[in-house]
Amino acid sequence: MSGETHYRFPPAAAYQLNRCLYSIKSDAEYCARFLADPAAAMDEVGLPSDERVGLVPIDRDALVSRGAHPYLVFMADLRLRMIREPGTMEHF
Amino acid sequence: MLVGAFACAHTPQLLVRPPTEDRELVLRVHAALARVKARITALQPDVIAMVAGDHVEAFFLDAVPALAVYAGSECEGTFGSYRYRFPIHEPLARAVVEQGIERGFDLTYTQRARLDYAFYVPLHFTMPSPPVPILPLHVNVYLPPQPLPGRCYEWGVALGDILGARPERVVLMASGGLSHYPGTDRYASPDFEWDRRLLEQLESGRGRELTALTGEELDKAGNVELRTWITVCGAVGAVRAQVYCYEPSWHHGNAVVEWPL
Repeated sequence: MSGETHYRFPPAAAYQLNRCLYSIKSDAEYCARFLADPAAAMDEVGLPSDERVGLVPIDRDALVSRGAHPYLVFMADLRLRMIREPGTMEHF
Repeated sequence: MLVGAFACAHTPQLLVRPPTEDRELVLRVHAALARVKARITALQPDVIAMVAGDHVEAFFLDAVPALAVYAGSECEGTFGSYRYRFPIHEPLARAVVEQGIERGFDLTYTQRARLDYAFYVPLHFTMPSPPVPILPLHVNVYLPPQPLPGRCYEWGVALGDILGARPERVVLMASGGLSHYPGTDRYASPDFEWDRRLLEQLESGRGRELTALTGEELDKAGNVELRTWITVCGAVGAVRAQVYCYEPSWHHGNAVVEWPL
């Protein structure tokens, strides 16, 4: 796949960043811990202190430029909004 | 035996609607999914085999299988306050893994993994009552390099043969699509014209032509998830699709189709 595609091979250097986003997306307890104490939650996944820019608040372009998977950024942001703004959602 | 074949959109906004989504559009997609549920109920399946693209849920970057079969005893998934648990049709799962390997497909199998919403959003709306076991069949769609469209079709051909020779009544369902670009700059600009040409192809029974697509073309069209539909195309061959709905929202081409067998 070329570098022009929307979804690209995730660089290994961004593993911890993607792990953090994946955990927000897929682990409700981690997501709650992230909301309560983002720095501690980032410690949990081993995210170095100089790679934390753009997570609070979610800054998609900053994260994607460092190798975050766009889908993980999108869904992590959605899950955080579902908790912060529950009253705005209609459940079927 | 294969008794039914469908493809359904699975966008989570169908389950949890934020104020950004057109309620009437969501309800029209629900109506199409209700038609699928009625059809599945009439087909009296023993199992629903679902081909879905994993949204980095069952498989993170620790291991990224191109094609995987869920061969556990049950599976679970959660989305906000929603909790889903489905029994797996174990004999069918084992048969698909074993016979798939024998046919040259180097399948991954798992007996414990999170169930992705690509599975439970369509099942939320289409599972008959009483419910039947499922067989989750994973395709990697979001973590490049993904399996080639032609390979997905070949897997579908093999899957059709395997399921067709089984004693169970099997409904095969693709989950995904159509055009959307979650998390990217193109999120608000899906390629609806590409989708409409695709649906015309499927309505005329020309699903095999999709084997000529490249991964880059699917990515460009916002249709990385079409690999699941292409897999089902391989299983149904030249059967003409019946389009239940095509509902383009501001970010997503919502389609529901049946291939009447």
